[in-house]
Amino acid sequence: MLDLATYDYDDDGFRTCGVTGLRIHKSAEDMVKLFGVTSIVALAVGGAFALFVAMTRWEVIGLLPPGDFYQYLTIHAWYLLIFWMVFMEIAILYVGGPFVLGRRLPLKRVSGAGYGLMVLGAAIITWGTWTQELPNQAPLLTSYVPLKSPTSFYLGVDVFLLGAVVAAVPFLASIWQEKRETPNQALPLIAFGAFITSIVALEALVGGLITYVPTLLWRAGFLEHLDAAWYRQMYWIIGHGSQQINLLAMITIWYFLTHVLGGAEVASEKVSRTAFVLYLFFINLGAAHHLMSDPAVSTGWRMWNTSYAAYGAVIASMIHAFAIPAGLEVGRRRKNKGGGTFGWLWSAPWKDPGFSATILSIILFGFLGGTTGVMMGQMQLNMTWHNTLATPGHFHATVATGTTLAFMGLGYYVLRLVFGRDWIGGILATIQPFLYAGAMGLVCLMMMYLGLLFGVPRRHPSVMDIPGSAFDFAPSKPFFAVFGIAALLAILGGALFVVVAVGTLLFGSEYDGTLPEETPLPDGGASATDGPDSKAAHAFSMRGTFILTMVFFLTFVVLYALNWYLLSQVWTIGP
Amino acid sequence: MPGQSPLDRPEGDWWNTEVNRRETLWLGISGAWAATIFGWMLGWTQVGDQNQIGPTYEVPPEQYQNKVQSYVDESGTAEIAGEEAIVPAGEDVFVGAFQWGWDGLPVVLDAGETYTFHLGAYDVQHGFSLRRESNLSQQISLQMLPGYEWELEMSFDDPGTYHVVCNEFCGTGHRTMHGKVFVRGD
Repeated sequence: MLDLATYDYDDDGFRTCGVTGLRIHKSAEDMVKLFGVTSIVALAVGGAFALFVAMTRWEVIGLLPPGDFYQYLTIHAWYLLIFWMVFMEIAILYVGGPFVLGRRLPLKRVSGAGYGLMVLGAAIITWGTWTQELPNQAPLLTSYVPLKSPTSFYLGVDVFLLGAVVAAVPFLASIWQEKRETPNQALPLIAFGAFITSIVALEALVGGLITYVPTLLWRAGFLEHLDAAWYRQMYWIIGHGSQQINLLAMITIWYFLTHVLGGAEVASEKVSRTAFVLYLFFINLGAAHHLMSDPAVSTGWRMWNTSYAAYGAVIASMIHAFAIPAGLEVGRRRKNKGGGTFGWLWSAPWKDPGFSATILSIILFGFLGGTTGVMMGQMQLNMTWHNTLATPGHFHATVATGTTLAFMGLGYYVLRLVFGRDWIGGILATIQPFLYAGAMGLVCLMMMYLGLLFGVPRRHPSVMDIPGSAFDFAPSKPFFAVFGIAALLAILGGALFVVVAVGTLLFGSEYDGTLPEETPLPDGGASATDGPDSKAAHAFSMRGTFILTMVFFLTFVVLYALNWYLLSQVWTIGP
Repeated sequence: MPGQSPLDRPEGDWWNTEVNRRETLWLGISGAWAATIFGWMLGWTQVGDQNQIGPTYEVPPEQYQNKVQSYVDESGTAEIAGEEAIVPAGEDVFVGAFQWGWDGLPVVLDAGETYTFHLGAYDVQHGFSLRRESNLSQQISLQMLPGYEWELEMSFDDPGTYHVVCNEFCGTGHRTMHGKVFVRGD
């Protein structure tokens, strides 16, 4: 597979990328290919299982019998929320570290060992889930103690988490080497973002091991009892922490792709880096919002952790929501591609699927994923969201539109800039991000409506037929119809990406190094010394971005008010 | 001064470079918004009617099951729509979740009265998801854990039938868990 690339290296094993200007070493590039392609395989498997899950929940089709549903749902969840994400994130660390810093990948064998453990762990999880028998139940993503899953499942999780930790070590070593050589020099913003991502990742992964090793011992019979509340609190360190790796990796990719494909520059190093540091300190306890409707945690604990997340991490996300489009606006205004208020946006390379996927990722993540995450993190509102279909609606907005689109965008450029192959499919590649984003966005909206307006529970194979009861959720049928059709289109859009990616890898012609519009200069357009090039970033107008962020803010306020209105209609609960 | 690429190491005194005034304004808006929504959440605990706040006790599952059983024994019964339902003797309402059913349901309550719900599970984790039949958007979900008893006050103004489903995956029979709360008017 590594031989599919068209690039050659010099005697030291380096080559210079004609588009980004990065000096890339073969050691790092080999591993990016390996992790990146494995990630796309996981996407294909998880996406295929999405078809079964969605077509079961759309009960007009009712594809799977209830007994099988949970197994399919487990595979769908682990392949997309974990394997597709984490394999790609390791690739992103190697891009953000060795690629950007122009270094070899240190400890390549350690990286290979990490990869091997991750694949082994994923295989054990799959096998354990697929061959389970009673009294074991499908683990789903959460494997809540004391419901028993197969022992092999917990073992597989431990192996996978260990593998991911091992695979992150070479990245950390490259940052270590960089800082030893240039102790007083700041890292490039992308490398800095990747570094913060790695720390948040290690917190999540080590937390996951601290959770899943005792859980394995409990299931294997060495521990008599595990407390359900202890497990929930510990589990969400990895359960939500893994999704925070997605968030940080995605934002790093936003900075990367808007720069390479759209000519964005950094609007303010200080502001963007501060936002990353806010994540470092504040995002972990955002995971506490999973326990907002739980017993066993005090009101003070819930309020503090919600406020902690609201003050720290939400502000950080809102900063990036401004800084990234502002960087694009400034970069394009500097190149005279930004007349008027939104000219910089209209003139952008929308036909480039790498670019469009990135922008759609930013929009959908913000409007659908970010706002809803904040709302369900408010203690009282959480009661109306908790374990309804609105919750998967939220995390499909963040992961299945936001992060997945960003990683698809990156995937397009891994094919071009790492494998040196140009996309097959022509117009299909161009429309793919729009088809996927539009359909998936609609899927997310429908799930949220179903959850909030009809209280449809998540993790149910049938809500139109509850055995032994005349009660059902029939009024929600029209929403399920839109959900089902949109889900089919979204799966088609996802499959199109896999087809284009695999087809490109096997049959793509050599990439000639051009971008859909003129290639931005490798150093960010800093060739001339007069005219607009002499102006500082802050001196350019950011009015287009400001209007867009105000639209976002007003949407946020309206959604927030609507959610509280809905809650206020519920009967009286609490003192 | 050329544009700063995120792929390059920043040069010079980048920390003290000026920030665009619109970006500064956005920082202010973000900070004010975070403070506002936090304040609203805190304020709702004082003036709002929906707060999932109540004491939790560590009670072993067998012991909790016994408590629910004694409560059921002491309660009366009433026939509602052809079903026999529990009529609590006092203001306490016990609900015990198990694979795959509900102890303590169906139950009959009076509109306008304040009850103390006791939520707990006998075996694995379950979810207490309650909604009004005639308006499904009036709905809430609360977690139920084995080993813990959660006390929460609830009061229903609108008479009618309310349905309970389990919304924490609890094994293959999960989807069959259904119970009812009947709220009687005057």
